[in-house]
Amino acid sequence: MTTPLLSVENLQTQFETAEGTVRAVDGISFDVHEGETVGLVGESGAGKSVAISSVLRLVESPGEIVGGEIRFRGETLLSFEEGPNGERRQSPESLSNKEFRQRIRGREIATIFQDPMESLNPVFTIGSQLQEFIEINRELPPKDARDVAIETLREVDIPKPEDRFDDYPHEFSGGMRQRVLIAMAIACQPSLILADEPTTALDVTVEGQILNLVSDLQEEYGTSFVWVTHDLAVVADICDRVNVMYLGQMAEQADVHDLFDNTKHPYTEALLQSVPRPDKTVESLTPIEGVMPEAINPPSGCRFHPRCPDARAVCREVNPEPRNVSDTDTRHNAACVKHDAFDVDYEHSTPIQSEGDEFGEDLQVTEGSR
Amino acid sequence: MAAETEETEDQEYESRVGASYMLSRLLQDTTARISLILIAIISGMALFAFVDAEFLDYRLAETYLYHPLRNNAGTRPLLPPVGLSNQFGDGVLAHPLGTDTRGRDIAVRLLYGSRIAIQIALVSTTIGVVVGTTVGAVSGYYGGWIDDVLMRFVEILYSIPFLVLVIAFMAAFGRELIYAMIGVSIISIPIFARLIRSEVLSIREETYVEAAQAAGVKDRNILLRHVIPNSFAPVVVQTTLQMGTNILIVAGLSFLGFGAQPPTPSWGQMLSIARNYMLPAPWFSVWPGLAILITVMAFNILGDGLRDTLDPRLEN
Amino acid sequence: MSHLRYTIKRLLQAIPVLIGITSITFLLINAMPGSPVEVMLGPTASEELIAAAEERYGFNQPIHVRYVKYILAALGGDLGRSIHYGVPVTTKILERLPVTLLLLASSFAFALSVAIPLGIVSARRRNQPVDHGSRVVSLIGVSTPNFWIGLLLIIVFGYHLQVLPSNGLVMPLTPISEVEGATSRLDVLVQTVRSLIMPTIALGTLQMAAVSRIERSSMLEVLGRDYINLARAFGVKESVITRKHAFRNAQLPVVTIIGLQLTSALGGAVLTETVFNINGMGRLIIQAVRTQDYALIMGTTLFFGVMFVIGTLLTDLTYAYLDPRVTYEGED
Repeated sequence: MTTPLLSVENLQTQFETAEGTVRAVDGISFDVHEGETVGLVGESGAGKSVAISSVLRLVESPGEIVGGEIRFRGETLLSFEEGPNGERRQSPESLSNKEFRQRIRGREIATIFQDPMESLNPVFTIGSQLQEFIEINRELPPKDARDVAIETLREVDIPKPEDRFDDYPHEFSGGMRQRVLIAMAIACQPSLILADEPTTALDVTVEGQILNLVSDLQEEYGTSFVWVTHDLAVVADICDRVNVMYLGQMAEQADVHDLFDNTKHPYTEALLQSVPRPDKTVESLTPIEGVMPEAINPPSGCRFHPRCPDARAVCREVNPEPRNVSDTDTRHNAACVKHDAFDVDYEHSTPIQSEGDEFGEDLQVTEGSR
Repeated sequence: MAAETEETEDQEYESRVGASYMLSRLLQDTTARISLILIAIISGMALFAFVDAEFLDYRLAETYLYHPLRNNAGTRPLLPPVGLSNQFGDGVLAHPLGTDTRGRDIAVRLLYGSRIAIQIALVSTTIGVVVGTTVGAVSGYYGGWIDDVLMRFVEILYSIPFLVLVIAFMAAFGRELIYAMIGVSIISIPIFARLIRSEVLSIREETYVEAAQAAGVKDRNILLRHVIPNSFAPVVVQTTLQMGTNILIVAGLSFLGFGAQPPTPSWGQMLSIARNYMLPAPWFSVWPGLAILITVMAFNILGDGLRDTLDPRLEN
Repeated sequence: MSHLRYTIKRLLQAIPVLIGITSITFLLINAMPGSPVEVMLGPTASEELIAAAEERYGFNQPIHVRYVKYILAALGGDLGRSIHYGVPVTTKILERLPVTLLLLASSFAFALSVAIPLGIVSARRRNQPVDHGSRVVSLIGVSTPNFWIGLLLIIVFGYHLQVLPSNGLVMPLTPISEVEGATSRLDVLVQTVRSLIMPTIALGTLQMAAVSRIERSSMLEVLGRDYINLARAFGVKESVITRKHAFRNAQLPVVTIIGLQLTSALGGAVLTETVFNINGMGRLIIQAVRTQDYALIMGTTLFFGVMFVIGTLLTDLTYAYLDPRVTYEGED
């Protein structure tokens, strides 16, 4: 097997708050290969965005990456080791912050932010912002960077890019701003783009256009993508492989077709059941029972067990790591003890009540209401 | 079911903005706690001085301390404070902060000066809050020409440098305390009017206010029951900070001779006397300023603390 | 072009404000006990004499007539004569105005040049010792009466160390012969700077503290914005982010605060000029009130109003220059 472009192993990021430590990302692992689009799916608060920020080292205080290893093309970007007093600290193989900024950010790994209205600096023209990133990451003189900037704006279908170059963000619509953000990412010619729910804030029609645009651009440049979303329709549309996150941990990781057709984790199942589809009436939708607990005080055992229809007593005890549960050659990881790969005697454990039984049906998946 | 949820949410919300909740959160902050204690002490001093001066003709002062307005049995004027004087022995602590130009005890005069500071600041801030809130709420809620007229007027008041405004006002009506209070109230009004108006403008667009309007609730009731209570937090913060500002303004006015007239002591006026003795008795200029600084700082710290407590968005 | 239009629009908006200021002052002055004529002629003047003088100066006319007359004359540059000084009010004001403007300019320059770096460093090193230190300094700064700072400075540097003059302000264009010990223009300028130091610190400290507080919180707010994170994500250096990407945005609330600080600075000028015996507008207005010099009170108040209006206009224009969104909102 080839070396993955990006490999994240057992990544842990936590936030120290007055109420206690929030383990927003609690030991997730995933790979991204060249030319691939990988989905990162989950409800709000599942830790998707924090995972993305962690890869880019953009986690801000009081947040901190406390463990795990991140490799890019086999090179260690971040790893941890045991210090002399038993504390965990960044190992010397990790890239220094300066090197990371100069070599990785923008050049190798670019990003598209979630909120196009907030992600552009209101007091500079979009052209100057785009040009600056190109100058830094492609080491072009200002004149050439400007040409590249205008060319890239044209590529993301901004009409009359020469004229719009000197316009300010407030003179653009949301969809147009998102195109500018995409232009920023591709103009730096990175090998990987981390897209953090880039279409969530947009109208459905605009979302469609942006998704098409991204697909086209990916075909053209062969850039890899990590696409963070809560929208399974988007996942089905553009992703090759999918990682489903729940409360800071991975629930299921599979090829996109496997995930939809041969779902292995009750949470993914529940997510799929709750999404409206043309072939189902609204009445036949099944909401996920309960709400996702807060990461500050996660449930014991499997974190999904309080909402899980398949929960049994053993689920309170065991917090499973994702394991390969595939019936075929392709890998298909799931973190659910109902599979035989987990030898915890699920079969003979007593079923337990899930939250949904107590609360009735007025609580639904909270995602998507933003 | 739905109604029940709403009610519990309401209660929860109220308890979150409620006074006791606020206080308990505020008290977790050490500096805020200290500032509250300071304000309590200063207010206690002011109250003591107020009662003694207004109702007891300084009998308490005369019995337990010194008379703040008169020399006490031939005490030497400009006696240095403890530590600076060479006279150790009996009565070294008799005048811990020294005496003023007429041999009056400075500590006692500072105590009675606190009354003027707190009294004027409290009265003028209160008038400013009440009038300003009303003007701002009406202006913001009704909009249109009412808004135009009121806001233009507020802007004019705002445009006259406040010290100049109060001085002109006191020149016209007299230099008595009451006019200082009214003058300082007038300059506090625009600050609260503007604050409330901008709050109201944003709240007016909220769904629950629109719902109340649609349901036919009277304007006055909407204003009183929904709009004003929801602007509560910024007003509390601004009121606290304005207390400090007003104490500074009152001190400045007294320093210029507009305010409490001698022999009634006020901090600003004590400084203006001390100013003529900076060479022989520099310490005389220190105490009243220190009193102003500590008092104003206590209100500023409390205001900052309240802001952090009431408005988590503005974390520091 | 749009900036010009914006300026004109703001200037037009200032007109009602100035009318308001003059009418309020006019009303206040007319509420004063006694009439200007009585003050002018002194307590011994007979009633006939007073009546005759009132007739002659038009004081027996109704207040609105006198107000309109005053405004019309003021538009023609005539603000009346100062009874106390015996010269036209405009002459007196033009003599004093540069002094106050110099004092204000130097104290704002001091305030901003200290406050902006202080606030930025504080925000960048949040909750570190340097941040705590600067927050304590600004807290004390906003809580201290400026005239007291002035007194303490005079005691220490004027009387004890005797390194700085504690009286008056030497204007840079004063004739060399009138400045003690000066033999060249350079000497005069040195004296100007020396005489400015203490009044500047006294008057500027409040502004400095207020601006550094807002600079810090504004910078903190901006540094947490998505667009700053975006710049970081694209490899922009932290120093460039502070200097370029965050700086301009962070100055917007600062400019607003400076505009609001203007009234307090003008009021502070009155006190500072009193403490340092500087013959500026502030002492002039106090003098005018003490001597019941009606025309002078009107004139100085009007000029304070004009200074405020111009100051606000300057801050508004700075804001519009910094924030490209403003001009468009202003044109609706």
